[in-house]
Amino acid sequence: MTATSAVLPASTNAAAAPRRLAAPLWVGALLIVLAFLVIYPLLMLIFGALSDSNPVVDGFGNFKPSVKHFVDVLGNENVHLAFFNALAACGGGTILAVVIGLAFSWIVVRTNTPFKGFIAGASLIPLFVPPLVAGVAWGILGSPKTGLLNTSLKWLGIDFRFNFYSMSGLIVVFGIYYAPYVYMFTASALKNMDPSLEEASEVAGASAFTTLFTVTFPLIAPAILAGSLLSFVVMLGIYGVPAALGAPADINVLTTYIFKLTAWSPPLYNTAAAVAILLMVVTAILVWAQQRVLSGKSFATVAGKAFRPRALNLGPWRWFTLGLAITYLLIVVVLPTLALVIAAFRKFMFFKDFDALFDMKQYSWVHFNAVFDNPLTMLSIWNTLKVGVITALAGGALAFAIGYTVNRTRVAGRRSIDLLATLPVAIPGLVIGVAYLWAWIGLPGGLYGTIWILALAFVARFMPDTVKALSTSFLQIHKELEEAAWISGRGMLSTIRTIVLPLARPGVVASMTLLFVLAIRELGSSLFLYTSDTTVMAVLLLDYYEGGNTGKTAAFSLVQTAILAVLLSITTWLSRETTQSARFN
Amino acid sequence: MKHAMTLATAIGLALALAGLPALAQNEFGSKELIEAAEKEGQLTYYTANFAETEQEVIKEFNKRFPKVKVAMVRAPGGQLITRIKTEAAAGKLGADVVNHSDRGLMLELADLFQDYTPPNAADYRPDALVSPKFWPGVTLGWAIAYNTQLVKNPPKSWKDLLNPEYKGKQIGQVVGPSGGTTWTRVMFERQVLGEDYWQKQAALGIALFPSGAPTSDSLVRGEISIAPLLYNIIYTKIVEGAPAEAIFAPEGVPIIPYADGIPKTAKSPNAAKLFMNWRLSKEGQAFQIAKLGNITSLKEPPSFPKGWDPKVIKVWVPNFKEFESLREPWLEQWNKTYGYRQ
Repeated sequence: MTATSAVLPASTNAAAAPRRLAAPLWVGALLIVLAFLVIYPLLMLIFGALSDSNPVVDGFGNFKPSVKHFVDVLGNENVHLAFFNALAACGGGTILAVVIGLAFSWIVVRTNTPFKGFIAGASLIPLFVPPLVAGVAWGILGSPKTGLLNTSLKWLGIDFRFNFYSMSGLIVVFGIYYAPYVYMFTASALKNMDPSLEEASEVAGASAFTTLFTVTFPLIAPAILAGSLLSFVVMLGIYGVPAALGAPADINVLTTYIFKLTAWSPPLYNTAAAVAILLMVVTAILVWAQQRVLSGKSFATVAGKAFRPRALNLGPWRWFTLGLAITYLLIVVVLPTLALVIAAFRKFMFFKDFDALFDMKQYSWVHFNAVFDNPLTMLSIWNTLKVGVITALAGGALAFAIGYTVNRTRVAGRRSIDLLATLPVAIPGLVIGVAYLWAWIGLPGGLYGTIWILALAFVARFMPDTVKALSTSFLQIHKELEEAAWISGRGMLSTIRTIVLPLARPGVVASMTLLFVLAIRELGSSLFLYTSDTTVMAVLLLDYYEGGNTGKTAAFSLVQTAILAVLLSITTWLSRETTQSARFN
Repeated sequence: MKHAMTLATAIGLALALAGLPALAQNEFGSKELIEAAEKEGQLTYYTANFAETEQEVIKEFNKRFPKVKVAMVRAPGGQLITRIKTEAAAGKLGADVVNHSDRGLMLELADLFQDYTPPNAADYRPDALVSPKFWPGVTLGWAIAYNTQLVKNPPKSWKDLLNPEYKGKQIGQVVGPSGGTTWTRVMFERQVLGEDYWQKQAALGIALFPSGAPTSDSLVRGEISIAPLLYNIIYTKIVEGAPAEAIFAPEGVPIIPYADGIPKTAKSPNAAKLFMNWRLSKEGQAFQIAKLGNITSLKEPPSFPKGWDPKVIKVWVPNFKEFESLREPWLEQWNKTYGYRQ
């Protein structure tokens, strides 16, 4: 490395022999890892979609390819309907998520709204609510006959009634729960943006409002696009919310349809695999479109010049933005949490009228006692934490390696790496869970039945989320900073360590946190890979839900939420410490 | 002869005095089996039933046999089958005992299972058995449940569920194609209650649910007022004081005998046998009836659920051949009748 350090590496042909060999070796290694994590399970899925067999049971020898499942799926009216429902619910949800997420990141990063730190922390809460829990909570709040909201309206003498068992209910719940995705992307982009561009706009006479829409938002367009794309695709793969809110109104989306295919007897995995591949095609088109839109444009706004993010003085309007933030938090955090608390402490969720809500005789700790009487509870918490940490560390490191290679180098093969790393995003957990089972059960070395196979599945499954979350940080770091390090004699690894990593640190910590949260919530792939010793919280939560125990489901969700909240405050605190030290050192 | 009788009584008395383990020998298996099971010390139990109820079963089993620990893996029916198939093909089937509600699906996997006969095999109804390898450790039955705060005039029979009084989504139902248990009820409705039962009921406007859990939850919350439910899913709630009640209808109680078996590859075959023996024993069945709201496939039930008059109420077991052959065409018609988009 030191031999090449005197040469400017920006001109690729100037690299010396070791570096020339290092690049293909590095790309090759990444491709091998991705082949194992993505291509191999994916081949299993395609194999399943193209045949009637289970590759492990029947063996590849009996593979009789047919497009029957695709033809069936494409010709099935119910699939068409589920497809359009999914597009409507997720499309509407994404628009709402972008509006909320963007507004929030702007309020938190760019204004002098009071209590910003608190708002920033609280606005991420929806992210660690498992979708099933969110669905259950909003069912308790907004079911047409006995929902708490409607019971309250009745008590107040207002004729209006909410009905969250509907398409609009789905859109609202999707929108408010996936806004944090957009927020995470746009907030880190706004944080890293040089405010001199906005200042220039204002010097030129533009109002703060005009500046926001003509300078600020266009500059963070990659973050907005990436955030909305990711939230859209993640919504496409969510089962819990449409299961709890859509099912009572007979609104099917692709995931609930796939769940039916896999859960009913006999299970139709091969058909489910075909539906899943359709989902992947949709995602691939979206990702391709995103790259088309972004290609050839530079979004580097983090340059070598020192700056501090600027806070816009809103004057008295800052109380208005605070009011907006509080309203959102009330709707997204307080109301559903309250619903869960009531459900968790109340013996039964039947309310004759509004006053019955305050009948204290109905409240007790029985559901919590029952949950902690269950020996699996502590085991699942412990297992979940282990898997979460392993996934966050391993997945974070892999995502950094991929993100850096794709965004900061010009090595051959980086486009394939990007593509491979994005593929798993659209495959619903239940289907990819089977693909992992098919792919990895035969591996020697007793991986199956351990915590590690779960972690491996989560790393693979959430790689797109993590890589995308990191990529925006990379996109924003100007090349000149690395070049400066190279000129002053640093090698590649040293540059990454001293320049890139510290600058991308908010993104790295954010994406590892995201990975941790996603791993803890993940149900679909866990269901196939857990064993009695490695049971995780998501599986136990489904057990409670499927047992028809709203009280225990709610109590266990609160336990899970509390654990996540504690862990997240620790990581937030840690990242604040490290970013501050990075910035001022 | 008289001498022998006295001797037997004396032995019985001695055994009773000697305590539970001795008694256990007769009912649950030989002394050798129990010793071997305790030596193995553990088994892995795969179940498609509700996790919580099966944990109660394990707890009760451990009161009798504390030295045999039971680890449980629970997954919904279809997913459990896929897992068993795949694990078995890879030579990594972890189960010592499998408990599954769908006898048809289990029958396809019969090759994976070993021959097994419980000590009280002769006490079981022949129509509840589909293979000498599989035994109904669990039997569930359909009841009619209602919210006691909302229903002034509760239904007393299946026919009552056609009453126009209950129109407008007061009645909730688990959709026909959701699995073997619901298919049993749907088949019963058409074969026993009449060809036009579905049409008449669908005309009232029925709230449809994907599975039993959200249905029973909605019933307790009052989102719906009446629902056919598997008795075990509402029973524990009634016991805990939920505003609900359930009745068994005089036209018959459709029951679902599970198919439980021991894989050939079981690592703890003796513990597995002991666990199966205990669950199938009178004691095991009586516990499940009293505490979990199960029914039994024993010819002479050790006890009956509350409100079950054995003179009036009879169980209904589907003809297994028809259960398999009618399933697809009938469910298609069910979907059409109830306007359900599968």
